[in-house]
Amino acid sequence: MRFGFKWSLLAVLLVVVLAACTNTSTTAPTATASSGVSQAPGAQGTASQTSSVTGATSGRPAGAGLINGPYPGEARNLNGAGATFPAVLYTKWFSDYAQLTGVQINYQSIGSGGGIKAISDRTVDFGASDAPLTDEQLKAVKGGQLLHIPTTLGGVAVTYNIPGVSKQLKFTPETLSGIFLGTITKWNDPKLVADNPDAGLPGNNIVVVHRSDGSGTTNIFTDYLSNVSSDWKSKVGVGTSVNWPVGLGEKGNEGVSAGVKQNPNSIGYVEVIYAIQNKLGVGLLKNKAGNFVQPSTETVSEAAAGVAQSIAPDLRASIVNAPGANAYPIAGLTYILIYQQQTDKAKAIALTRMLWWGIHDGQKYTTELGYSPLPQEIVSKVEDKILSVTVNGQQAFPGK
Amino acid sequence: MITAERDTVKQDSENKTGIARDGEHGMRVVNLSAWYGPVQAVRDINLSIVPQAITAIIGPSGCGKSTLLRCLNRMHEVIPGGRVGGVVLLDGQNIYGPEVDPVRVRRLVGMVFQKPNPFPMMSVYDNVVAGIKLNRSLPKSELDDIVERSLRQAALWGEVKDKLNVSGASLSGGQQQRLCIARAIAIKPEIILMDEPASALDPLATYRIEELMGDLKERYTIVVVTHNMQQASRVSDYTAFMLAGDDRIGELVEYGDTNEVFTNPRDKRTEGYITGRFG
Amino acid sequence: MDKIASGSRFAGGEDQGDKLFRWLVTGLAVGTIVLLALIIFLVFGDARSALLQFGLSFLTTAIWDPVAERFGALAFIYGTLVTSAVALLIAGPISVGAALFLTEYVPKWLREPLSFLIELLAVIPSIIYGLWGLFILAPLMRDAVEPFLQNTLGQVPVIGALFSGAILGRDMLIAGVILAIMILPTVTAVSREVLRAVPDTQREGMIALGATKWEMIQGAVLPYAKAGIAGASVLGLARALGETMAVTMVIGNSSSAISPSLFTPGYTMASAIANQFTEADSEMYFSALVAVALVLLLVAALVNVAARLLVWRVARGPQGSARL
Repeated sequence: MRFGFKWSLLAVLLVVVLAACTNTSTTAPTATASSGVSQAPGAQGTASQTSSVTGATSGRPAGAGLINGPYPGEARNLNGAGATFPAVLYTKWFSDYAQLTGVQINYQSIGSGGGIKAISDRTVDFGASDAPLTDEQLKAVKGGQLLHIPTTLGGVAVTYNIPGVSKQLKFTPETLSGIFLGTITKWNDPKLVADNPDAGLPGNNIVVVHRSDGSGTTNIFTDYLSNVSSDWKSKVGVGTSVNWPVGLGEKGNEGVSAGVKQNPNSIGYVEVIYAIQNKLGVGLLKNKAGNFVQPSTETVSEAAAGVAQSIAPDLRASIVNAPGANAYPIAGLTYILIYQQQTDKAKAIALTRMLWWGIHDGQKYTTELGYSPLPQEIVSKVEDKILSVTVNGQQAFPGK
Repeated sequence: MITAERDTVKQDSENKTGIARDGEHGMRVVNLSAWYGPVQAVRDINLSIVPQAITAIIGPSGCGKSTLLRCLNRMHEVIPGGRVGGVVLLDGQNIYGPEVDPVRVRRLVGMVFQKPNPFPMMSVYDNVVAGIKLNRSLPKSELDDIVERSLRQAALWGEVKDKLNVSGASLSGGQQQRLCIARAIAIKPEIILMDEPASALDPLATYRIEELMGDLKERYTIVVVTHNMQQASRVSDYTAFMLAGDDRIGELVEYGDTNEVFTNPRDKRTEGYITGRFG
Repeated sequence: MDKIASGSRFAGGEDQGDKLFRWLVTGLAVGTIVLLALIIFLVFGDARSALLQFGLSFLTTAIWDPVAERFGALAFIYGTLVTSAVALLIAGPISVGAALFLTEYVPKWLREPLSFLIELLAVIPSIIYGLWGLFILAPLMRDAVEPFLQNTLGQVPVIGALFSGAILGRDMLIAGVILAIMILPTVTAVSREVLRAVPDTQREGMIALGATKWEMIQGAVLPYAKAGIAGASVLGLARALGETMAVTMVIGNSSSAISPSLFTPGYTMASAIANQFTEADSEMYFSALVAVALVLLLVAALVNVAARLLVWRVARGPQGSARL
């Protein structure tokens, strides 16, 4: 009896502790919001500068600074859910945006799969996904035409841990796909040595570390491998989770990073932001132009700029192995998903205004948070998408 | 007053020590005290256990009679905090001597408890040989002999000979207690201690246990604790009467031939207890 | 007199509060059962399309390819069973030993504080175990324990296969060890209660026959507590089967090969679900993961039933000990 009592006591304690934790996490955004106050005047400053330009342009609304306050008749609350990769950026966006316009946006980073499911079932106002929807997935949605709105870019860096090797390694599409396919098994494989003659690569077996959880990072990485290797394309393919031919699975960027650090002679892949923030040793990758490129926010942005001309009209784009001298080859867009035909006017106004702000004003936060800004060529195409949103047959975006 | 009484008891018991001769497995208790942690339970007990006879220890609840009994095979110290002072001689050797292994003492001085405690996960057969198997491994035929002999001596053979493989716990209460007696005598002890062996049994089962005790004293020295005075007068040859004083420490008040203790008690407190005036 | 005859002095139905409480607890009990039925129903409903598509091969193949949408859960089932078995093999004896120490050997004043400490282990969140496993246990196993095992037991025929292959610091043995540590407090705490429930008369009965302490434990305490200890192990096993977080962090999450070696990375059902659920964006992928959940539910139920049968047989002991 006493045994049972003690257990229940411990259980109660645990619940209390957990409740306390949940509290702090829910209050955190508020803290961010209050810190955003200091930035609000700056944003308004830009707004007044550009408002004069608005009048001068013909038809197309201005970019940054257009949205500078609340709009009458717009919804006060929006709900979204989806990808975890852009969650940090979105949290920053939405807290600043609430300061600016008073519109509260609740974003749940439940994963791309969950986001797609939620918007398909119309349980949220917008979804978010790291990978564009497949044709099949688009057919399954219940609310009509779904638009892909790119919001920012991410890249995937290759990180490794080889004791005794201090020189930054160079990888080609051939060597990287070979390693992850399991056809290149030793670090002193002639193909690797050919690219890195002075690195002193050892004869040890390569330990491959990949993500175990489904993730947009994996999607971009496998998209790249499929693009550069027909073997990979036929044997493994592209996905947020794939059937890995070799290696250990680790959960999250931090798991892969720990797995690489702990295992000598290992190689893995993480988000570029994560590699930069944690100062991981990363490899240089040979891009389409034949240059070995360092992963950074700039080279990732470069990748998007490189494909802007050839991008599909619905913006479902793969930007891996992009042309451009400095384009980093493993990069991808992340999207917000909305319906083109909106049914609720107030929400439609709030949603299009928020997106307009995000792809213009919101881009200035990308670099400081480790994301890459959308290149101008892409932004103008996204503007068209936002303007194409309708409610009751009329353009939803109010133009300011 | 009490001291004076005790002296008479002491002398009385000393008078009888001559009966415990070598080879007959008697016991002698000298100045025995026992404690539970800081609390003293019995004080300065002196008595001699007569071989091949039944000695009953009687007295009201809490007088320390069970404690005294458990001191006779070093079971008292099994209880956390249990402590013993004084001397207990078994065949002239102090069982509390520094070189003595209590485990060996218990093989010579068996014990039967108030509540029948056969091992429920063992068969009747295995219950009987449980003690034997601790010491040595014997061939099956020898074990069979021991089981039969012990069960016969415990007057249980006829009832269980066809179900030796059922669990010891499936027998009736009286049968269980006789199984415990068989278990105790299987290891051929010199002395058997019984702690209110019939108090949990119905009258018929009690009667059978008493009958059995009478049979067993032909071979064994028996010490039995009981709070049933009729039982003590019926079965025992010698009776020790214990009583806790005002300080709640048990003392031996009177010890002697059962007939004398019951018909002509020397101490007024014994008389009072026996005639039912207190206790 | 007529008052008594009419019964008015004793009249009155059930107390209102009593009635309310009875309905309340009845409702809660029924609610629990309904909830369970609902869970099974929903899980089955979502798993249906994968089960229809793959049939029995879902249980017998080890291919898990979300891209080609070919799914077989054998690698996950294997990983779950192996890690749980390793955990139980390690934790069982240690737990019973610890419980024996607590009930039979530790001085009384130390018993409660020590027990409390052990029970405290049970409330450590599994993520903490996972981090500890990842940063302390895994390197230790990789650099010291596993090479040692490979050089000793690994040379023995037959069982050597268990300790063969490359040592990567992420494998089923490490996951099993982590699980063992996690179930240890539960199994110890329950075993301790079971041992405490062994009547002292049993102990004294054996001691009075001239048993040493160890003989007493072996002959009287353990047989009496056998069924309860088996039950305690089942509780531990149940936790091991469903444990997710800590295992995910050290098992290597690889379904590419089913190997007899404990040194190969593996995957458990619970880890697979937790890892992949959020990004399972196609209908069939989602359904296959739910089917894994269903299999986990069934495996857990089967293990429980098997264990209960075992407990029942053990508890019965020699024929006719039903009185116990």
